[in-house]
Amino acid sequence: MASPRVFTTHHRPPLLPSSLSSTPLTSLPRFVKSPNKRTPIQSVLQFNRKPQLAGETPRIVVITSGKGGVGKTTTTANVGLSLARYGFSVVAIDADLGLRNLDLLLGLENRVNYTVVEVLNGDCRLDQALVRDKRWSNFELLCISKPRSKLPMGFGGKALEWLVDALKTRPEGSPDFIIIDCPAGIDAGFITAITPANEAVLVTTPDITALRDADRVTGLLECDGIRDIKMIVNRVRTDMIRGEDMMSVLDVQEMLGLSLLGAIPEDSEVIRSTNRGFPLVLNKPPTLAGLAFEQAAWRLVEQDSMKAVMVEEEPKKRGFFSFFGG
Amino acid sequence: MASIDSLQLHSLCNLQSPVGRSKLQIPSSLVLFRRRHKNLNWVQVQTNQRFVCKSIVDDESSTPDEETQNTQNDDDNEKEDDVATTQNSNNTPSDSNTSISRFQSMITTITIHSENSISRLRSMITTLPPVTFLMKKSSGNSVWIGISIVATVLLASIRAYAIRKSRDNRPAGSVSDLVRRGQLRSGDRRGISKGMNYEDPFNNPFVKLGKGSSTVEMCGKVYKLAPVTLTEKEQSVHQKRRSRAYQWKRPTVFLKEGDSVPPDVDPDTVRWIPANHPFATTVSDIDQDLAQNNVYQKQGVPFRIRAEHEAMQKKLEALQNEEKLNNLGIDSQNARDFQRPYKFSSKLEEDENVQKSSQENHNDNSSSEETHKS
Repeated sequence: MASPRVFTTHHRPPLLPSSLSSTPLTSLPRFVKSPNKRTPIQSVLQFNRKPQLAGETPRIVVITSGKGGVGKTTTTANVGLSLARYGFSVVAIDADLGLRNLDLLLGLENRVNYTVVEVLNGDCRLDQALVRDKRWSNFELLCISKPRSKLPMGFGGKALEWLVDALKTRPEGSPDFIIIDCPAGIDAGFITAITPANEAVLVTTPDITALRDADRVTGLLECDGIRDIKMIVNRVRTDMIRGEDMMSVLDVQEMLGLSLLGAIPEDSEVIRSTNRGFPLVLNKPPTLAGLAFEQAAWRLVEQDSMKAVMVEEEPKKRGFFSFFGG
Repeated sequence: MASIDSLQLHSLCNLQSPVGRSKLQIPSSLVLFRRRHKNLNWVQVQTNQRFVCKSIVDDESSTPDEETQNTQNDDDNEKEDDVATTQNSNNTPSDSNTSISRFQSMITTITIHSENSISRLRSMITTLPPVTFLMKKSSGNSVWIGISIVATVLLASIRAYAIRKSRDNRPAGSVSDLVRRGQLRSGDRRGISKGMNYEDPFNNPFVKLGKGSSTVEMCGKVYKLAPVTLTEKEQSVHQKRRSRAYQWKRPTVFLKEGDSVPPDVDPDTVRWIPANHPFATTVSDIDQDLAQNNVYQKQGVPFRIRAEHEAMQKKLEALQNEEKLNNLGIDSQNARDFQRPYKFSSKLEEDENVQKSSQENHNDNSSSEETHKS
């Protein structure tokens, strides 16, 4: 079901992406220092205001795409950690049964001792299978299975629903967000992953193969009753868009007819951060893609969507002394 | 001073005059140049159709013609040092004469060229203002230049000393030192991160909205913004299109390929799983209620751990009971006596001997007592 706030513009100017507004929400708790005493930027980001959480908690969001390699796991890691940094309690579930990678992206691969399969078997409790991130303690990872273990398929969806119920009723409180990293394809893993979700983020790249798969997956999600579907267009290259070698974000939107949660520019830093096991949004100084992920996470919290997209890079204005290298 | 250093010409080669940069091609079958350190005249030796050429022109007073004459009239004393051996010894004297004369003319041109270039260079140098004059001109500032150079050197040395001292003062083994040496991850990666205070992802030093909301600056790059034009109507049109295109029900029944569909199951909700699927199986050997309870368990020992523990406990108790029963049947003193030889097999013989001797002693004592009694 479409979020009622997706197309609302509130008090913001129409062209402006709702979240690009510089005026902070007045109703939000602020713990801002005075602007004169602003400390210099030094470490990982921490924002002075918190986005307004919309919808019922826990928000169960499945991140899916259909096609592989478009950035589902990267999006899960970065959006999840951004949410944690905004101060929300987040549980990320890696529902990729055969080829799990979320633990690697988060740098938690050495700490995954138990998975959901062990929980189901009674080898451990659920809280023992949850891996808490040391960097942001309100972010937890849960893997469905170890790479070589098999999960009964008729059981996967049910198991995830039980897990969500168990997380809702845990002593330390229900998490604000449960983010499920969906495997590629529309196989059994996809069915398992979407079972407990009530909203979806569709990750796609601006190429026709990914778009066809994305359209099909969107159709399946809608058939399954998940109507709150938003789209992240990943690996956008404005230089190629300007040369008309790549579809623009607006073209993609026109083809799929989904509201935009974010447009992530192509960034070489993504590969580096993946290899380091250090999500992009924790980079200092922040990178272009990291900032875009943060913005997407902000919109996800507020159930908002983009009202304007970056289309092309504007050439920098040359000053009087630019001739001399100024 | 022209210098031709050890040019050994075996084929047609380029002879370059270093001053004039004029290239001359000389048949290599004719000459072999070697460097001569003492005398700098051209020497030609015609004995046995061999000649020697020395190319270093040192004597500035001599003209090229004189030099060539000198080379022709030079004595044979330096034959051993400067040898240019003709490769073709079968040439006739007339041929060799003509080739020599041609060579002489070439050498002459070389020297003329070099002389010209040298003179040109000299004239160019003389046209330049002398450095000393410039130095004299700014003699008033030279003191200050010197002072500034000395001050710069002094500052650099003080800075280097301070850096070295601070490095030495840094305690080895401190956290910062460990991070610097790569032994420890930095604070961010260990979860000790300092907050960065800025407004939000849409308004901070890295993201600035341009005037009129038509541009946005992100990470120093300015991007043009275009408004999103998707309307709710268009969105619903897409939804209808998809609902027509994709008729799908979420599978709830998973069957192995080859199984028959149960009678009460909608065939659309059946998902066929191949038998060799790498990570999915249709065989469910897990008790669903038990699994659900396991998931919902908040505290305490997990089910299987507890079950295994209990099973082991029971087994142990059973073993202990068996042992107790066995112990009841056997007298402990007897059992110890019985087990003793097995435990101390090495001392068995000694013990036996001791026992025997003691028994003997005992027997002896008893017999002696008996005798005493009797």
